[in-house]
Amino acid sequence: MIELKFTVNSEEVAITVAENLRLLDILRDELHLTGTKEGCAVGECGACTVILNGEAVCSCMVLACQVQDAVIETIENCDTDPVLQILQQAFLECGAVQCGFCTPGMLLSAKALLLRNPAPTEAEIKKALEGNLCRCTGYIQITEAVKQAARELAESK
Amino acid sequence: MKYTGKPHIRLDGIPKTNGKAIYGNDLKLPNMLYAACKYADIVTGKINNIDSSLAQDMPGVKMIALYDDVPGAAKVGPIRQDYLPIVHDEVFFTGDVIAVVAAETREQAILAAGSIDVDYTPYKPLTDPQMAVLPSARLIHPEYKSNVVNHYPLRKGDIEAGFAAADQIITRTYKTGFQEHAYIEPETVTVEPDPHSGGYNIYGSIQNPYTTRKVAAMYLGIPLNRINVIPSVMGGSFGGKDDIINNMACRTALLCQMTGRPVQMTNSREVSLRESYKRHPYILTYKAGFTSDGKLTAMKIDILADSGAYSSQTFFVTWRSVVQATGPYEIPHVETSITSVYTNNCYTAAFRGFGSPQIIFAQESLMDEIAAICGLDPLELRLKNALRQNSITATGQKLNGHTVSLRQVLQTAAGTSDFLTKYQNNEELQETRYKKGIGLACSFRGCSLGAEGTDTSSAIVSVQADGSIILFTGVSENGQGLQTTMSLIAAEELGIPLKNIVFLPSHTSIIADGGPTVASRGTIAGGNAVKLAAEKIKNALFPLIKDELKTDNVNDLLWEDGRIIYADNSILFTDAVTKAVQAGINLSAYGWFQAPEVSWDEESGQGNAYFTYVYGCQVAEITVDSYTGKIEVDHIYAAHDLGRAINILGAQGQIFGGVAQGLGYALTEDFNISGGEVLSDNFDTYLIPTIQDVPQITPLIIENPDPAGPLGAKSLGEPTLELISAAINNAYFNATGKHSTEIPLSLEKVFLGHKLQKPQRQSQQNFEHKKFHHHHLDVETYTPRNLDEAMKILEKISFKVLAGGTDLVINLRDSGRKQFLLNIRDLSELKGISQNEDHIEIGGAETFSRIINDPLVQKHFPLLITACSQIGSHQIRNVATIAGNLVNAAPCADSAPPLILYEAKLLLRSTEETRTIPAADFIIKSYQTMIKHDEIVVAIQIPLPAAGKTFEHYYQLGRRKALNITRLSISARARFAENGIITEIRLAAGSLLSRPSRLSMLEKIITGRRINDELLREVTATARKCLEEEIGSRWSAAYKIPVFINLLHSALLDLQKQYSEYKND
Repeated sequence: MIELKFTVNSEEVAITVAENLRLLDILRDELHLTGTKEGCAVGECGACTVILNGEAVCSCMVLACQVQDAVIETIENCDTDPVLQILQQAFLECGAVQCGFCTPGMLLSAKALLLRNPAPTEAEIKKALEGNLCRCTGYIQITEAVKQAARELAESK
Repeated sequence: MKYTGKPHIRLDGIPKTNGKAIYGNDLKLPNMLYAACKYADIVTGKINNIDSSLAQDMPGVKMIALYDDVPGAAKVGPIRQDYLPIVHDEVFFTGDVIAVVAAETREQAILAAGSIDVDYTPYKPLTDPQMAVLPSARLIHPEYKSNVVNHYPLRKGDIEAGFAAADQIITRTYKTGFQEHAYIEPETVTVEPDPHSGGYNIYGSIQNPYTTRKVAAMYLGIPLNRINVIPSVMGGSFGGKDDIINNMACRTALLCQMTGRPVQMTNSREVSLRESYKRHPYILTYKAGFTSDGKLTAMKIDILADSGAYSSQTFFVTWRSVVQATGPYEIPHVETSITSVYTNNCYTAAFRGFGSPQIIFAQESLMDEIAAICGLDPLELRLKNALRQNSITATGQKLNGHTVSLRQVLQTAAGTSDFLTKYQNNEELQETRYKKGIGLACSFRGCSLGAEGTDTSSAIVSVQADGSIILFTGVSENGQGLQTTMSLIAAEELGIPLKNIVFLPSHTSIIADGGPTVASRGTIAGGNAVKLAAEKIKNALFPLIKDELKTDNVNDLLWEDGRIIYADNSILFTDAVTKAVQAGINLSAYGWFQAPEVSWDEESGQGNAYFTYVYGCQVAEITVDSYTGKIEVDHIYAAHDLGRAINILGAQGQIFGGVAQGLGYALTEDFNISGGEVLSDNFDTYLIPTIQDVPQITPLIIENPDPAGPLGAKSLGEPTLELISAAINNAYFNATGKHSTEIPLSLEKVFLGHKLQKPQRQSQQNFEHKKFHHHHLDVETYTPRNLDEAMKILEKISFKVLAGGTDLVINLRDSGRKQFLLNIRDLSELKGISQNEDHIEIGGAETFSRIINDPLVQKHFPLLITACSQIGSHQIRNVATIAGNLVNAAPCADSAPPLILYEAKLLLRSTEETRTIPAADFIIKSYQTMIKHDEIVVAIQIPLPAAGKTFEHYYQLGRRKALNITRLSISARARFAENGIITEIRLAAGSLLSRPSRLSMLEKIITGRRINDELLREVTATARKCLEEEIGSRWSAAYKIPVFINLLHSALLDLQKQYSEYKND
């Protein structure tokens, strides 16, 4: 077992968990944050993407011991985070959501991109989302949604 | 139309974007157990003994269910009951389940499942359908007396007379492979006891709730009313969450019955790929007769379909193929025959397209060959033969009652894409590396189920006292946007705003069986039921308002903007509802749709197969890399007549998504199953398109409202997928003059003209297989405070070093072995990128993202930047470390070739010593390095390049544009003298030899020379000789050697070009 302290969506968490848990398991099973999804468990689909210390990562490949003192953001932060809310609205307006299973991961990859690059080109958007598989949408409307969100964020500033 | 035909935000969108939607595996019930299956350890054979004694006593295990525990029908199936959710004494394919375990945690369940020991007498797997169909073949299910699952004939006219009337006859045989649905959500089912009904509630990723109910009730031997199926939010299905979910529901319900507790079963991706059914592989032989001016006179088609271990939906899938096999053409004489056969492969069933993508690939590829023979362009040939209004199809059906818009879709797609101009331009000989091609394919498609089954659907429109509406339908929201479409139809019919309607997911106990949500029938069948229910509401309200509105005919009324209007009079919808409530009139209405009559004669294959059809045409523009065989798709135009679009946003989404799935089918989705063993067991080996792989797609929505559809709407979901592989193959033909008879058009297939496959291992040939275990991570970890502590620990204890973990965590999960890990990821001594006197030092635990963005590395080592930018994905580069990449030592490690080229050294440290090893020596061979167990790679040192201008070239070849395992890479750096002579050249290859290496022999030849034809010839000869010696015996050599030589040429010419441009500046 390992004692962990970290921050999730601005809340401090202190928890003791088994050492073989991945960040994904901690979020879903221990903290009941089930918005983060498991699609492949090998880092190939991106459904489990969260923002860890400012960077998009696959939470299926991060072990418990690697989140000590970390700052983590999940899709549940959408309730309060304005960037995620703008992205959420853009995804809906552009038709970028079908089954929705990849959507939380997409939104977090997109947010991590906009944090470091508020005005991304189409190529930069694709580079940031290349690790997030979607089987429903064909991605076209997802790219459009991220462009739209970037425009709206720029206007809101 | 007020509401429909415009873009609408999907009604279930908000919970899907904020993480609050509850998918099947998000459901947690109190006191719930977790289930895991014990899968077969072999492909096929007799089970002699099952020993679950060890598993029984494992921690947390509550129940192990075997075949003998099944209370009802042990065999299930939608048409023929040949599937055993838990097998008895025989294994038919690798996804068969021998036992199911329920335990307190998921981990306990999977460990116990892995501990069940089974003794077998294996049979030789029968995996080739052409062998399985022979009378002498071993019978897979002897009770059916034949391996043939079904055979459908179709005869129209006189085939011999048709060929006699032809000027030319050609025969071609085509092959298509398995395709996996690859929904991102793996399958999941939860079953709980229901004290009210005395039965069970079933939740999960359920595509067809009524089928799940029927199958589970049969399995448990209980009546239908004891089971209520409540689908969870669905994470993608595409036809794929039908039978497998029903079978999982059987096992889970059984455990629930035996334990009295809720039970959840969720598949890992590996299990999903092993057990789930796939698209049918077909072998199709087409013989076509035609006149010299391109009129088709006869077509004879023979198809063999691989049904895999079970029959499942094979009967229906192959029936659609028979109806549509000739394509959308008038052919007077047709003879079609389709046979499907059992094998020991994964079973095959429904998948978006449902028997059409295979035949369209074959028949539309054939059309372009015929066009070429006749000297016609592909459009002209199609227009000449295209079905038109009142044409007679191959099944003898006269096409009337709807607009036969084939010409319209063809001309729209061809016109918008400027098809003919581009086609003719590309036909000119292209003597360049990259060749452009354009191709098209068109189809007709029967809507809904047709004569394959009873075609009915249900809806409830329930008007509440305040005028708000609750809507239920018997068809389900599977992510396609059905609930928005259904709500829009109700809104349009009743003239009330969308926000006044709540669509509730239907439970099987609430509404009668609405038929399956398949066959692109959601809108047409479900929508018609909604329309009928709404009409009943209108009729119920009419007597109360007709006097006020001064009309005797309900059809005179206009329902709009929350008002009911006739001429100058109107009444608020809510007021009418109030009147009805006061008058005691029922405003809950049931809509029951029965499809118009269809007919079918089994013997002749003649009849009115479907009550209406849709038409589509797609154009693909591609670029073929003749050096590597890589096809890049540049643009897709997709023209579809869908009757009428209800939600434009949703319709476009269907087109984009269907095209993307079709692209995967055409190019990269090569499901690898060898001797019945599934080798493509996750998304690293089964390659679906990434965001980088999908080109521009131009949707061209064509509307010819259909009287048979609600508000004129028909179908769209499936036609969008079925056309692309033929369009791409035709574009390939346009670009190169070569046609493929097989998909996917993989690198090897395009380059060599045939498929290249890894041969079976010896163990496979002897039918030996490794014992099945679920993927599971069993680790203990320790995080040291600093590097000294880390090294002291390594000295004493055999820890494995964990840095980014992107390889290690995955490998450990696969091996299932217990491992102690030393987490060094955040040690500050291993971080930082700095410039020293003569080198740049990169901390061993620096991530690729940090390296790529570092100005020092960018300035001095551009090849390293380019190579590292193409590793995995953005998320992987954010955690994967440079030392980890080298220590893992995969042959495809992308950072290794540039590091070797730059003569980098690794700095290794233990408590005993610090030593440096050149990167070129560090990797000994695949997955083996010089590191000792007590050492840590603390840094990578890369010498600063000597002064003077250098020219760099890097190329990575992968099957996709992201998330790649590099197939080949070349890194090159050159210096030129004033006179254009190369004074220094460095070349490094990745994924080529047994380890990433410099190509010193070639460097020697090139140094001191000019790049010209003579040098290239010499380089080619030497490279060929060296590579033949080193890797010539490998299965991949036939591809890799010539392609690498091409890449080498290209690299040298590019360096030369860069130098010339630099000099001319």
